[in-house]
Amino acid sequence: MPGSESLSGVTPAPDDAAIVRRVLGGDVDAYAGLVARYRDRFARFAVHMLGDREDAEEALQDAFVRAYRSLAACRDPSRFGSWLFRILVNRCRTREALRRRRTRTFVRDELALERAGATPVDEGGAWREEIERALARLDPLYREAFLLKHVEELEYEEMARLTGARVSALKMRVKRACDRLRDLLQEVESAAR
Amino acid sequence: MRRDNDDLIERVAAELRRPAALSFGFEARVMAEVRSARQPSAWARAWEWVREPRMVALSPLGGLAMAAAIAGVVTLGALAWPTPVATPGASTAPAESAQAVQFVLHAPQARAVFLAGDFNGWDARQSPLARAPSGLWFVEVLLPPGRYTYAFVVDGSRFVPDPAAPRAFGDDFGAPSSVVIVGRGGNQAGGRSL
Repeated sequence: MPGSESLSGVTPAPDDAAIVRRVLGGDVDAYAGLVARYRDRFARFAVHMLGDREDAEEALQDAFVRAYRSLAACRDPSRFGSWLFRILVNRCRTREALRRRRTRTFVRDELALERAGATPVDEGGAWREEIERALARLDPLYREAFLLKHVEELEYEEMARLTGARVSALKMRVKRACDRLRDLLQEVESAAR
Repeated sequence: MRRDNDDLIERVAAELRRPAALSFGFEARVMAEVRSARQPSAWARAWEWVREPRMVALSPLGGLAMAAAIAGVVTLGALAWPTPVATPGASTAPAESAQAVQFVLHAPQARAVFLAGDFNGWDARQSPLARAPSGLWFVEVLLPPGRYTYAFVVDGSRFVPDPAAPRAFGDDFGAPSSVVIVGRGGNQAGGRSL
């Protein structure tokens, strides 16, 4: 994960453990520091995983609150981010399972649409929309593996720790996700030429 | 071709790596919920843990092994469980679903009347009827819902069908018999409901 703390714990954020200690010591407001530190990074995964901004925010909020309530169970506070991410992955899976009973939706970045105003959608916006559409058509397990590997840029070993799946299974999922995305998006590119 | 494909995936990933904006006030909402959250009790944590949905990664071989283990446990359980022995006249239906049915025969000259039917294995000595001064013989039997054929056994040897009930088609054991149908809602044909 360039420009940010590695989730693998190779360079653990020095402050996380201190903040966790303060929170467990009764300083609840100190938890806001952890929320601010991880919210944007994890929001990206939740939004792409669930394909719906509102669901993603609820999953992320749920993950933060669950992490707070179970903070005493966090065995290695210096790796709070990794622990929180595992909770978020599980919350996204649960939400995805619930959402499959409802109509599948695509990512609608309301903020981006508001910013765009009345201007026509440019090529970049259309391309992003096609990506989101293709992503939404992936099997959730393939989508999860693709996002963890290619977007969050995690190593397979870390992905295995997060998801509970074996490395070989994760590699297969990533490959199938890439194959499917190529099929879906090459059609779009061919049609655009 | 592969180079183009890898470029495509990289362009997709680069697009998806752009930060996702959260709605205004997200952090405040989280902190408001955090401040109102209580640390759960050990029991609450255990309950949460058992009801949390999980995805289990299982190889086909592992799945087969688990299925075999479950089948083994079920088989052992079935072998260890005592097999119920069919008892003539005993009902396998829950007692609460059985209904009391009264059987009545007017036979003032009879010395003894018994009730025999497929609910008691056609045992001519198992269900004696009581005699009223008027010459009516009666007995109450608890019967689960179902269709039964029966007859009265008068003076130890004579099978008499119930004159107040429909006759059974084919008459079991070569003797005339009647039919009683006990319904789930207390409705019945033949015999008399209490």
